[in-house]
Amino acid sequence: MQSKFNTILKHPYLIFLVTIMLSLALFQQIKSKGAMETDLDKYMPQDHPAFVYSDQAEGWFDIKDGIIIAIENPEGIYNPGTLEKIKQLTKDLQKMDEIEKADVTSLYTADNILGTDDGMDVKSFYRRVPTTTEKLNELQQAVKSNDMVYGRLVSENEKVSVLIARINDDVFTQDFYQRILELGQKYEGPEIIHVAGSPIIEGTMALLGPADMKRMVPIVIAVIFLLLLLVLKSVKNTIFTFLVVAVSSIWTFGLMAAVGIPVYAVSTMIPVMLIAIGVADGIHLFSHLDLYLLKHPNATRAEASYNMLKEMWIPVVMTSVTTAIGFVSLLTSEVYPIKYFGLFTAFGVLAAMVLSLTLIPAGVMAFGFKKRKSSELNGEVSHNSNQISQSFTTFLFKYKLFIVATTVAIMIISIVGTTKVWINSSFLDKFEPDSEIVLTDKFINENFGGTSTLNLILESNDKNAFKNPEILEIVLDLQNDVETLPMVGSSFSLNDYLLRMNKVMHADSAQYESVPGNSDLIAQYLLLYEMSGDPEKLWQVTDYEYRKLNITFQLKSDNSKVINEALEKIGTKRSVLAAQGVTMNFAGSGYKGLVFTDLILEGQIKSLFISLVIIVLLLTLMFKDYRVGIIGSVPIIITALISFGVMGLLNIPLNTTSALLSSISVGIGIDYAVHFIDRYRANLAKNTDSRVALEKTMSHSGRAIIFNAIVVILGFMVLLASVFPPNRQLGGLVSLNMFTSFVGTLTIMVLLLKKFKIFQNKNKE
Amino acid sequence: MKKFKISVVLLMAFASLSFADEMSGEQVISNVYNRPSSNDLQANLTMELKNSQGNTRVREIKQFVKAIPEGEKKIMYFVAPADVKNTSFMNWSYDDASKSDDQWIYLPALKKIKRISSDSKSDSFMGSDFTYDDLGDRALSDDTHSIIREETLDKKDCYVVESVSKQDNYMYSRTLTWVEKGSWIGIKKEFYDEDDELLKVLRVLASETLDGVIIITNTTMENVQNGHSTTMTLKDILVNKGLDDSLFTERMMKRAPR
Repeated sequence: MQSKFNTILKHPYLIFLVTIMLSLALFQQIKSKGAMETDLDKYMPQDHPAFVYSDQAEGWFDIKDGIIIAIENPEGIYNPGTLEKIKQLTKDLQKMDEIEKADVTSLYTADNILGTDDGMDVKSFYRRVPTTTEKLNELQQAVKSNDMVYGRLVSENEKVSVLIARINDDVFTQDFYQRILELGQKYEGPEIIHVAGSPIIEGTMALLGPADMKRMVPIVIAVIFLLLLLVLKSVKNTIFTFLVVAVSSIWTFGLMAAVGIPVYAVSTMIPVMLIAIGVADGIHLFSHLDLYLLKHPNATRAEASYNMLKEMWIPVVMTSVTTAIGFVSLLTSEVYPIKYFGLFTAFGVLAAMVLSLTLIPAGVMAFGFKKRKSSELNGEVSHNSNQISQSFTTFLFKYKLFIVATTVAIMIISIVGTTKVWINSSFLDKFEPDSEIVLTDKFINENFGGTSTLNLILESNDKNAFKNPEILEIVLDLQNDVETLPMVGSSFSLNDYLLRMNKVMHADSAQYESVPGNSDLIAQYLLLYEMSGDPEKLWQVTDYEYRKLNITFQLKSDNSKVINEALEKIGTKRSVLAAQGVTMNFAGSGYKGLVFTDLILEGQIKSLFISLVIIVLLLTLMFKDYRVGIIGSVPIIITALISFGVMGLLNIPLNTTSALLSSISVGIGIDYAVHFIDRYRANLAKNTDSRVALEKTMSHSGRAIIFNAIVVILGFMVLLASVFPPNRQLGGLVSLNMFTSFVGTLTIMVLLLKKFKIFQNKNKE
Repeated sequence: MKKFKISVVLLMAFASLSFADEMSGEQVISNVYNRPSSNDLQANLTMELKNSQGNTRVREIKQFVKAIPEGEKKIMYFVAPADVKNTSFMNWSYDDASKSDDQWIYLPALKKIKRISSDSKSDSFMGSDFTYDDLGDRALSDDTHSIIREETLDKKDCYVVESVSKQDNYMYSRTLTWVEKGSWIGIKKEFYDEDDELLKVLRVLASETLDGVIIITNTTMENVQNGHSTTMTLKDILVNKGLDDSLFTERMMKRAPR
């Protein structure tokens, strides 16, 4: 080691050169090969049975997400102006390259199948816009008496009409999103245009999240920079601490680009992680250097740097390796972007480690120590710092029982909170409750069935199973049952066509709005529908052989609780249908989102446990004492529990961001413990009295830990001012986790180290 | 009437041989529209529907058609699939474009005949890729016809005629027809939608001459936008057997064909 340190210390400029060259080369990779991946479907594990099934079903029934454009006229829609706008907007949407003509549904495109005294009439509601009062009234009556349109395309108060444009997942781009919004604006006044639907929500999120991050990250960096200046009291040291973070980020993204892995949304969190982790090494190294210089005011650059490396390389390597292991454990996740996130963050952490151990001493060698005040040279601060450490340690032991009791109490409350944690795959819930997108969604949900969809897929082995009235009656029952849920607006299936046909063929008599009594009649109605309506529409609810059925539920929210409630209600009919040889499955983007979130959470919990076990083993190996392994992991267990507990108690649902962060806190939290334990061991080797050793460790590692915590906590609290709630959550959770790790390390862990006489026996021998 | 048509066509055929260069698009299409047809026809029609996933379903229909001075009467009985057997459909169409078709359906499970009226000729014919309009002739004057080129298709010399609708909001902005010289069969036709994108392609795969009349017996229509296709095959064809008007009545709809 000694020779290696000397190599570093002798050639500071060579280190700068190598670092710069490497960074430039990797930066070039980012510029030439770096790519963003925004398609959410790419995040889902393609071979998971639920996704395989859903994708298959989406193919069978042409299930697509829809953009919903609502035209609102407070005076009512039955006037030539509004009807003309519905017509023109329909045509404009049909003309867009991204939208198939047949995928646009509106009052203008809808068929009106009517029963007459001697037969059946199939008409469009209007072709030419009606202008006379008489014709307008006729249209109004026609809509009102058609359940397939009334309440679905025209609101019951007759003030709003919606157009639905179904699109494929892969056509959605920022540009398309902008054009849709602009198209809507064109039709404003006196009508009000509202644009909603899951593609729009996802689009807004993809736009808002990164835009907000772009605005906030520079502020976070500036604040952290200022805070580092405050605690390190040196521009030079701050710059070098920062360089470590910046260069390791460039290396990480450069490597990613070089091996051809795109940047996923979650990868944008890598620099965030590296800021939180990377500054720690710098703080601990410079903090050690400061303390060394206090004792040895006249040391040379080489002497001081050598001592810094000699004393600190072990904890720096240890903390980095344990943190990296925490991230590598994310490889157990089934979600590829998360695997990559774990792997590359681990790489970044190790890069930061190498850079801290080379760039920082090289910086000291090349540019010297920070300016020291005369008082510092006299050791006054040291005295001050020691005093604080002493009184803090005294306080710790005086209120030992109180601290233990408080910790236990907090743990119990957190465990209770943890049981209340729920997962939310909702996209909409990520926006402010008073944001336009949420208000629009609410508006459409108040007037129509719902903006979110859930597809129930029924399958049977028997051909023509879904022409069997017995089975269709069960399905109708199921539809009605699920519709009783307050958040389920409507449902749609083959039954809706059959009920309509049965009624129409009985001169529009409401008493025949039921499932036709025999399968031949059902087959004949369907044939008739094919001959007079739009046959393609039938294949969105069933298949050629009538072995499969697609039932669409419109939900008034994409919240996981709402979806789960519907799933549960649907599940009550599972056995009745199974008795008829019919199996149940689910499909659609909402369902996939739900499964996906569950999958992420499952992966997180798995990796949390795995990393915990590995860290305990690693600490045991490093300090050759299994008790250290256990005691060292106490702060991170506390951190994780409090983090989940707070979310449960404050009713903050777990989502992809928060689930990821909670397990990451393990990786970060362990650093504090490792630094403290390592220094404590070193001090114990010099002092036989464990109390004195603890006090010394407090003033050394404790001081650095506090600096580190202050910098990161305050830095991330900046994100609380973010306009995008998920980014706010990110700031809040990182701050909270850093705070609990730091408090846990300096209180309960210290008490445990003392209580179990860690490292003491050996030294006394 | 029919004889007169035949002679006109013969004359035109001769004309086309000698003055091929001077044929106009309108003449070509006129030749197609006025190709001699039978006075009546009965046949078994097999309709095979195929979707983009390659699933198919087959319908078998017994059909009777008779020309009347005002247009055409047609009655169709479903033979298969079993659950729609004996469902019948009757259609009276008129040459007068302003008069819409009269249509009836008989559902045996309901034991009732119902009149169907539709304001759209773009409705699908029996759920196939053909619309009612695709099957019937359009009035010659509905479109502007022009020959855009001559080429050989399936070893047959053809005029390629472009027909652009004179109506603004007709479902096809234009069609391209490959008309075989001499036989005046449109052996291929491309349909372009309102946005001038190719929507469907019709191909004539086989024809037979019966009683001096060319009967197209096998056609396929492919919707290139949704990957759907329909193949129609006529078998056991009988022409000019003197089908009686009384066959085309509501009463007969309820009676399964022999």
